Amino acid sequence: MTEASAPRFAEGHFEALQAARGEVNRVIVDKPEVVDFAFTALLAGGHLLVEDLPGVGKTTLAHAMSIALGGAWQRLQFTNDMLPADIVGVSVFHRDEARFEFRPGPIFANVILADEINRATPRTQSALLEAMAEGQVTVDGHTHTLPQPFFVIATQNPLDMVGTYPLPDSQLDRFLLRTRIGYPSPAEERRLLTEPDRRNFLAEMKPSLNPAIVVALVEQAARLHVSEPVLDYIQALIAATRSHSAIRVGLSPRAGLALIGTARAHAFLNRLDFCSPESVKTVFPALAAHRLQVQPESGLDSREIIDEILGSTAIP
Amino acid sequence: MNAPGRASAVYWTLAALVISSSPHLAAMPPWLVAVFLTLVAWRWLAARQSWAPPPTALRVFISLALIVLVLVASGGHWSRRAATTLLCMMMAAKLMEMFRPRDLRLVAALCFFMMTAQFLFNERLVYLFYLAAGAWTATMALLSIQRLDSMALPRPGLGRREQLAAQGRQAASMILLALPVAALLFVLFPRLAQPLWGLPQQSMDGRTGLTDELTAGSIANLFLDDRPAFRVEFPDGQPPPPETRYWRGPVLTELDGSTWKRSRLADTSSPLPEAQGGNEFLHRVQLEPHERRWLFALDHPRAGPDDSRLTTTRELLARNPITALTQYDARSINAPFGPRDLPSSARAYYLSLPDERNPRTRRFASDLRQQFPDDDAGLIAHVLEWFREEPFRYSLATAPLGRHNADEFLFDLRDGYCEYYASAFAILMRAADIPSRVVLGYMGGDWQEAAQYLLVRQSDAHAWTEVWLDGSGWVRVDPTAAVSPERIDYGAWGAIGEPRHVLDREWLRDLRNRLDRAQHTWNRWILGFDAERQQRMLERLGLPQGTHTTLAILMVIALGLVTVVLAVLLWRRDRQRPRSAAEKAWRQLLGRLRRRGMIKHPAETPGEFARRVLPQLRAQGRDFVELAEWYSQVHYGPRQIGRERQFIEAAGNFRPG
Repeated sequence: MTEASAPRFAEGHFEALQAARGEVNRVIVDKPEVVDFAFTALLAGGHLLVEDLPGVGKTTLAHAMSIALGGAWQRLQFTNDMLPADIVGVSVFHRDEARFEFRPGPIFANVILADEINRATPRTQSALLEAMAEGQVTVDGHTHTLPQPFFVIATQNPLDMVGTYPLPDSQLDRFLLRTRIGYPSPAEERRLLTEPDRRNFLAEMKPSLNPAIVVALVEQAARLHVSEPVLDYIQALIAATRSHSAIRVGLSPRAGLALIGTARAHAFLNRLDFCSPESVKTVFPALAAHRLQVQPESGLDSREIIDEILGSTAIP
Repeated sequence: MNAPGRASAVYWTLAALVISSSPHLAAMPPWLVAVFLTLVAWRWLAARQSWAPPPTALRVFISLALIVLVLVASGGHWSRRAATTLLCMMMAAKLMEMFRPRDLRLVAALCFFMMTAQFLFNERLVYLFYLAAGAWTATMALLSIQRLDSMALPRPGLGRREQLAAQGRQAASMILLALPVAALLFVLFPRLAQPLWGLPQQSMDGRTGLTDELTAGSIANLFLDDRPAFRVEFPDGQPPPPETRYWRGPVLTELDGSTWKRSRLADTSSPLPEAQGGNEFLHRVQLEPHERRWLFALDHPRAGPDDSRLTTTRELLARNPITALTQYDARSINAPFGPRDLPSSARAYYLSLPDERNPRTRRFASDLRQQFPDDDAGLIAHVLEWFREEPFRYSLATAPLGRHNADEFLFDLRDGYCEYYASAFAILMRAADIPSRVVLGYMGGDWQEAAQYLLVRQSDAHAWTEVWLDGSGWVRVDPTAAVSPERIDYGAWGAIGEPRHVLDREWLRDLRNRLDRAQHTWNRWILGFDAERQQRMLERLGLPQGTHTTLAILMVIALGLVTVVLAVLLWRRDRQRPRSAAEKAWRQLLGRLRRRGMIKHPAETPGEFARRVLPQLRAQGRDFVELAEWYSQVHYGPRQIGRERQFIEAAGNFRPG
């Protein structure tokens, strides 16, 4: 890395970010791109949906992230008998003082791990999704602001179909990025099997960041320079999703804004002081795949279409 | 849709409307202009304050009221001017419902039509600037409206000013791209010998010009008018000497009280007197519209264009009033003319004077007659000498003259300009039994050496006399020349010798001459390109049977070719034009790698490509990866000029081995 590309901002904050990234990478072995997505979603002010089979480390990732961030964290294990009040909190009547008092639910934290979100009923899911979109919750007519930063890592098991309520397409784009974790490589799997449990590392992990630093980093990332060619590239990608024959509904302008923000966050995380086309290319699949509606009869899945679009869109 | 974008689209549309309707507004009564501008101002405020559209009933009422106002303004007289006024006011009414992109686009597009409508009235060169400004503004409006519809992403990298500048350049380049097509249409569009829309009743909006009457003071206002009256070229060579540059217009033969009038009889054709010797001058006149039928020609004309005729008094008359710039060839002879003998009826006509007027002049005339009983020429010479010796003065002061106008001028006032002299002299001649008449026209002209033409302005208007001399015919006598030879040599204002007004400065006059030369070129090549010239051009192209069908086919083929060429150029530009010097250097570098078999895929980022070809480049691989990273910073990063220059140098030095 050459000197000129060094980010121009408070070095301390940035070093803390890189330290947190390193810490999480020590726990989630061999999956730096997944860890990068988690940090990218955080820096872009969005939320992350991890979709994968049980036992690949979804929960560990969320747990590691929450420790690294250093704020309050909560784990919500979704079940089908869960009610919205179990998430956002309830108003309790004080007989002595003859008034209602709001008891905040577990959602009032900096990092939320929403485990197996598809197990809850749509009503309960909406309570969480609404809080994610608004950054606030409303109970009995009173609005309560959620702490900053507010970062949700939700997990969903794609194969578990019995008794679940998969998120509808329109709700999926509440999540900035959707990613999979996947199996570890054979070598890493061998290390996993032979070495002590990685989850022990969680106990040793020290928080490198704190909420105030994260808020400052989010602001800095949002100011990253986006040049004309990169904007052209982003527009070309969006236009390609709209004109692709196998896609029913392409990316919306909101998705375009999300793409710029995410690419900025990714470039920022990777020590650039400008938004590079590499960052756009890297985050595009995680950003676009869950927002596209594919024509079922095309026989393609959104990942394949996205790879095709990335491979055919020229970079100015 | 974002509100600021919408407001700016409205502002641009309003600006386009005001610019494109400005010449129309200039011809409207001020109160109607005020109504128009009020509606524009209201729409501007509505955009600024995000007001809702007015209710339909109100819109309908105001629109109907505007129609009534236009009818009132035109006095119930339906003319082309009234039609364009109605167009302007209906555009203003449209502003009340201009709240959707569709309506904005309609108004912006109609601005082009408004500009075209202006050319029904005037096609002078200055309107080219009006056209350019209007077209650019209207295109800016259309682009702004277009941006409302498109889902353009906000561009944090570009400031408002830069975005505006980019849009301005885009609008200008769109107009420039249309120019070849416009030029083709201009040259090839089949032309009719007559304008499609017939002749306007009045196109000059109260401009001054020569009249066919002469009362003292009637052309004084022309002396202040610097506008060109006509321009003359001399295809055979140099212009005639300044003292013979008399441009003949109407000839006034009847004295009615104190007003000289043109004879109605002159219009009826009668055999023309033969010219006697002299030199013939061929000249080509470009006459500005003046709403009358006479064509000015060097005194005295012998032959004019085909559709004109000469009257018995040697006026050159066109068939219809001159309402558009007209070009014609005329031949003139610089010698007296007329038959050997004046018939007695004509002699009596040219001697008639109103009774009981100018007794002193009559007495003076009869004294002169006694002095020179049979010598008309001697008498005239004596009178001119008398003008020179008595304290007559040339000035542009106008004094009202009473019933005995010749008496008052010759014996009391003795201070005036050509009209006073010509009128009094002609009366004196008639009193002395010499047939005479007054000729109106122009005298002199400004020779434009650079463009080889003579510019005659309205301020060169002049009046002189013609007397009948037995044996010679009609002879020109200019009494003003006797009093003030400077008038002949330097023009009316040169004779006075002081600036006419604050703007009368040497450099300004020079600038005016330059502007007129531009106008002359414009007239000659653009306005003068008529059906006949088009035909000649086709003949030169080897298409002698150039009918309208041939022209139409030619036009379609040429337009198709231009479109294809423009499309190819634009495609190449969009494909290939580098955004910066750094991109150019990078492309050159990619070109060198391509020749070594390392081809970058368009969808590859510089870094991805560099890492892919790393093994192929062997020792140079790491350098190239660094160079690609560097290019990324320069190309995608914030602008750092020094860094860009370094990169260009490094990229230029990189030679794949």
